[in-house]
Amino acid sequence: MQQFLCLPLAGGSTIRSFFFGVRALQRGRALNTRLNTRWMCTGVVIFWTIVIGLWAWPTASYAAESLVVYSGRAERLIKPVLDVFEDKTGITIQLLTSGSTELVNRLRIEGPNTPADVFITNDAGTLERARELRLLRPISMKEVERNIPPAFRAPDNSWIGLSGRIWVVVANTQRVQSHEISSILDVADPRWKGQLAIPNAVSEYLQAGVSVILALKGEAVAKKFLEGIKANAGNQVYSKNRQIVDAVAKGKVALGLVNHYYIYRHLAKHPQAPITPILTDQEEGGMGMIMNVAGVGVTAHAKHVDAAKRLVQFLVSQAGQRLFASLNKEYPLHPEVEADPALPPRDSFHVAQVPLTRLSELRDPTMRLIEQVGLR
Amino acid sequence: MIMSVFVRQMAPMPLSAIVFLIAGLIALPLLYVTYSAITVDAAVWERLWNTRVPELALNTISLALGVALVTLCLGISTAWLLTRYTFRGRGFWEWALVLPLAIPSYVLAYVYTFLLDLGGPIERIWQALAGPEARVFSPYTFWGALLVMTLNTFPFVYLLSRSAFLTFNVSYEEAARVTGASKWRTFFFVSLPLIRPALVAGLFLVTLYVVSDFGAVSLLRFQTFTYAVYQQISGRFDYHAASALSLLLVAFAIAFLSAERWFRRKSRFYQTTGHQRPLRPFPCSSIKTTMITGYLAIVFIGAFALPTAYLAYWTVTGLSAGTVSGTFLEYLWNSLTLSATAATLALCLGTPVAYLASRYPSKWTILCLQGAYSGYVLPGPVAALALMMVFMQGVPFLYGTVVVLILAYLIHFLPAGLQAMESSLHQVAPNLEEAARSLGHRALHVFRRITFPLVRGGFFVAWMLMFIQAMKELPATLLLRPVGFDTLAVRIWLEASEELYQLAAPPALLIILVTAPIVFLLSRNHWQIS
Repeated sequence: MQQFLCLPLAGGSTIRSFFFGVRALQRGRALNTRLNTRWMCTGVVIFWTIVIGLWAWPTASYAAESLVVYSGRAERLIKPVLDVFEDKTGITIQLLTSGSTELVNRLRIEGPNTPADVFITNDAGTLERARELRLLRPISMKEVERNIPPAFRAPDNSWIGLSGRIWVVVANTQRVQSHEISSILDVADPRWKGQLAIPNAVSEYLQAGVSVILALKGEAVAKKFLEGIKANAGNQVYSKNRQIVDAVAKGKVALGLVNHYYIYRHLAKHPQAPITPILTDQEEGGMGMIMNVAGVGVTAHAKHVDAAKRLVQFLVSQAGQRLFASLNKEYPLHPEVEADPALPPRDSFHVAQVPLTRLSELRDPTMRLIEQVGLR
Repeated sequence: MIMSVFVRQMAPMPLSAIVFLIAGLIALPLLYVTYSAITVDAAVWERLWNTRVPELALNTISLALGVALVTLCLGISTAWLLTRYTFRGRGFWEWALVLPLAIPSYVLAYVYTFLLDLGGPIERIWQALAGPEARVFSPYTFWGALLVMTLNTFPFVYLLSRSAFLTFNVSYEEAARVTGASKWRTFFFVSLPLIRPALVAGLFLVTLYVVSDFGAVSLLRFQTFTYAVYQQISGRFDYHAASALSLLLVAFAIAFLSAERWFRRKSRFYQTTGHQRPLRPFPCSSIKTTMITGYLAIVFIGAFALPTAYLAYWTVTGLSAGTVSGTFLEYLWNSLTLSATAATLALCLGTPVAYLASRYPSKWTILCLQGAYSGYVLPGPVAALALMMVFMQGVPFLYGTVVVLILAYLIHFLPAGLQAMESSLHQVAPNLEEAARSLGHRALHVFRRITFPLVRGGFFVAWMLMFIQAMKELPATLLLRPVGFDTLAVRIWLEASEELYQLAAPPALLIILVTAPIVFLLSRNHWQIS
């Protein structure tokens, strides 16, 4: 029994006596003779079922026209889109969901042997990183060039943005007036001490946000911002955006830093919650909202390039864009597709002008800064 | 005596070669991790040392110690109550308290993140009792990890101390009582020291389980070495740091193992011998019965009933609301086939190793055995990392296939099975085999006709042990699974990371349904004898 979870006690009379009973040991009786033939038969049956199963399964997975998609996006946000594509085209899709960075690593390790045809993830920095590592294939498609503005794709189209999310300040309307926060940097002000909830240092959104501040305002400001939010947050450091929104809605803190859709997700469930997003840095010449995109790329060693391109084509089409973005209340990047009516219209704010391709090169300095400040 | 004649013989050559190959295969990842960690740049070490290591070491050690301490209290108290008192329902509690072993740590963690969350059920109850401002501790802290790991591992201590309480000689206790020692004094100064070997064994099990656990700490975001290794692999592009941290973890585990062996060598002094009177448990008054039942019920509910009930509830509501589809049956199939294949293969590979080590013990065969045991000190993410690197450089075309995953399971779980196989082979007197050989039968034939029928039960136990471990395995599966081949464990983790409780519930319930009967059978095996 104690070996259960792979733990190291080899031999030894205590252990053996535990497992097989001391008396049995003392009488020198053969063990477990009670485990009779019937169980053995069961074992044999199980074994052969398995052998047959093993034999059957690879043929099932590589039949017909199929695509392998590696996705760093939560399955419930991507699967419905892929299902529609499958229905429309008859191309079957196999999906591997995992962490974004982990998938890049996996692509790198697999090299030319990768089964993946398409890579989808939530973070432009990761996509750009994959491009730098030559894991993605440049594609030229007029649908892509027509539907997605150049700011939201790699110069050679090796990755293409699909939806945008903005990093906002969420405020408790009973405790904060919207005009009290005009810039995202304001939340680092000492007057909000103990009033701020922040994500932990592992958060991709925090990393991307700090990268943008670093790029536009320089290292000193970024560092001051990090030190400020660390001091203001105290122990209000959360691993989930949802928890931050929750804490703000309950009035535990006045302010929080989150991706916009978490606020609307909360409002959809609790329409009366006293929370509101604050669009920051909107003054003339201001930094603008910090925006990141989810995107897609065809892998460099894709075996089904045509099918992969059809998927990309679907994702940038109006129908695909609407579906992809609305599942998570994000902003579609196709200029003619309307965002969810609950969101502030896309043309009501401007976003920070940091090319998304720079997020990748800013990643290391950002991580260093975060570690230096000691954000947890 | 028989053995002493036997040791002098040389092991047959082909068998030795096979065993050496198997042991080499199993030990390869450990060697590789060690090698790559040693060749890591000094700057990487320095960076890790300044940023990560102190926190990780503190977290890992404090969690291990904390869990060890609490499981000790829980395990001893439950075992004591169930061996020394007799009351209505004792038979039920005896096996009920083993069931928590059927719940994977990450399942328990994910149920408790829900229960203890802001505005979760426990907080609501607590606020109703202690006023609206009252807060329970967050599951994403040391205390959350401590709670989950304790509830998950105390059956180890319970089982071991229970079996010790049942088998030691009661006369010592009686002598103490007769000479005037109080009940408590007798317990602390006579009974506890007598079961010390079992306690030490239990504690080491618990500690190593905690140190190598990935599932629970990752869902609770509690930074331990094992979790940090996984993060280095998955969250960054940094294999060097991962292998450096792995080496620290492995060193930690080896130090632990050596300490455990040292204790065990000492423990031989405490074995009881001679005639024993059977233990007579005290009957209980109804008040006492209520108190004992209440205590046991709290433990059982916290560790098994409540989580399982929630899983069942989520499964039912999910199914009726249509949010859960039938696709998880496919994951069940994947899990079953994969685990069964790995367990069967491990049994085949383990047999020659165990046979050689028990029949021809020499420095050489013991070395092979130790090599095969090396999987013990390789927590899941580390084994996965090593296999990734080995396959990447050696046979890249196999990477991302089921083969790698099965190999990871083999390395990881063979030691557990090997232990059961080895001890059952030890129980078969070699003179039976010698007699058969002297009658002119060939070695393989003897194994088939004599040895195997005798050890069949033990081997089946080994198979089941490896099977359920493979069913529950998470980190290596996450990192190495082929495309379109998610297992139950992977699904639970993916859905639970997104806090999709309803979606994670059916696979979690299925794992428990598959493993609980096996856990039950494995522990019953022992009860029949006692």
